[in-house]
Amino acid sequence: MRALNTAATGMLAQQLNVEVIANNIANMNTTAFKRQRAEFQDLLYQSVERQGASSSASGTIVPTGVQIGLGVKAGSVYRITDQGNLAQTGNKYDVAISGKGYFRIQLPSGDDAYTRAGNFAVNGDGQLATEDGYTVAPGITLPQDATDVIINKQGQVQALTPGNPAPAVVGQLEIVTFFNEGGLDPQGDNLFLESAASGPANAGTPGSPGFGSIVQGFIETSNVNAVQEITALIAAQRAYEMNSKVITASDEMLSTSANLRR
Amino acid sequence: MNNALMVGLTRQMVLRRQMDITANNIANMSTAGFKVEKLLLRNVTSGPATAMGGAAKINFVQDTGVTRRFSDGQLDKTGRALDLAIRGPGFFVIETPNGERYTRDGRFAVNDVGILSTSDGMAVLDDGGAQITLDVNSEAPVITKEGSVQVGGLEVARLDIANFENLSSLKKVGEGRFKAPANAAVQAVENPVVMQHFLERSNVVGIVEMSRMIQTTRAYQSVSNMLSKAETLSERTIQRLGTVR
Repeated sequence: MRALNTAATGMLAQQLNVEVIANNIANMNTTAFKRQRAEFQDLLYQSVERQGASSSASGTIVPTGVQIGLGVKAGSVYRITDQGNLAQTGNKYDVAISGKGYFRIQLPSGDDAYTRAGNFAVNGDGQLATEDGYTVAPGITLPQDATDVIINKQGQVQALTPGNPAPAVVGQLEIVTFFNEGGLDPQGDNLFLESAASGPANAGTPGSPGFGSIVQGFIETSNVNAVQEITALIAAQRAYEMNSKVITASDEMLSTSANLRR
Repeated sequence: MNNALMVGLTRQMVLRRQMDITANNIANMSTAGFKVEKLLLRNVTSGPATAMGGAAKINFVQDTGVTRRFSDGQLDKTGRALDLAIRGPGFFVIETPNGERYTRDGRFAVNDVGILSTSDGMAVLDDGGAQITLDVNSEAPVITKEGSVQVGGLEVARLDIANFENLSSLKKVGEGRFKAPANAAVQAVENPVVMQHFLERSNVVGIVEMSRMIQTTRAYQSVSNMLSKAETLSERTIQRLGTVR
């Protein structure tokens, strides 16, 4: 009986759905987290029979025949790259990107990673770095005696030093965009790697056309919407239940047949 | 006597298939753009039950095809710029290695070279049959109700929204796609309604499928009962008539 397997694919799909929703809810307060969505596609269709058979003596043809679908599969898990809210933190090293783009981060391995989580700090060498201590490309070193740091919309980092009324430019933040942000390879720790699906990184100056601008003193919150996730969770759970009922019903049919002969 | 068993058998075969289809409908409850299916049945009449010219003819049951309800599924607002839904008739046209396919599943994305494509990388076609390229550095495209893809207020392309006179001739090929027969006349929908930031959910109604499922199992059980009665009948006949006095 196909129905048993079909319903099992349905249950597996809903399980994945719940897993994705659980991850979204768990990351509701993760800086710059982008919510994900599990997407499903119907599986192959089996043409059982009589496709194009004639249904009458005058030669009328059955147009579709009997095609039976074999269930559902997970198509992909999309990352929805909508802008999250900007929350004010007051910390001068917190920077958020308003619009498109990612910060480039240098991993200890020498590779580049990308992130929108701009909750940066200064490391022991005076360099702007992530919470894990990875430096923010292209490498911005702040003077040790800096009394204040100003990061403007275009990503220029300026430092005020004692005895110097005008702030000095000490670096320029760069951001990168991708053809397909959804194709970036997530690494955890809010970091992403470039992948064949994302296309190459395209570096630019914040605030220039096509690139987002920098907002100092803010972080981007996750774009998870609790109400949306909870309603999706309810729908997923009910769908899971219905699929399990299909299994019960198919089982009942099989047992009816098995008990025919007493 | 065998007729009862044979008629019952055809009914049970069809009910099993009905169950398979219901299971597929329920499994695809969360599949965007999925269209619910139903088995078409007809009766096949054969000659009278006995060679003596019995009163009634025998009606076997046979499944002749699958129908799909092409009504609109529920529209869900997702807020994603490349989630598109069609309200009313029409299909998006997708270019696959096996030829053009038609879908109501509008979960599109931009691939690594900037072409508007489905989640497995098949290009979405415009009304001229060409692929649609979006500029990476522009802001998110605006897609109007008429299906015009605009970037910065300028039309880049117009989505091809195709329709068919005879929807039942379409064949499902999985992944939410339909294949049209070679001789089908593809028409462009005159006034398509494309909704950006929305997705069309499946048009499966849970309660309908559940009640159909219950009907199917109950019908299957009652046929089984009938079969076992028919068997008891023939068993008794043999016992009584066969007794030598």
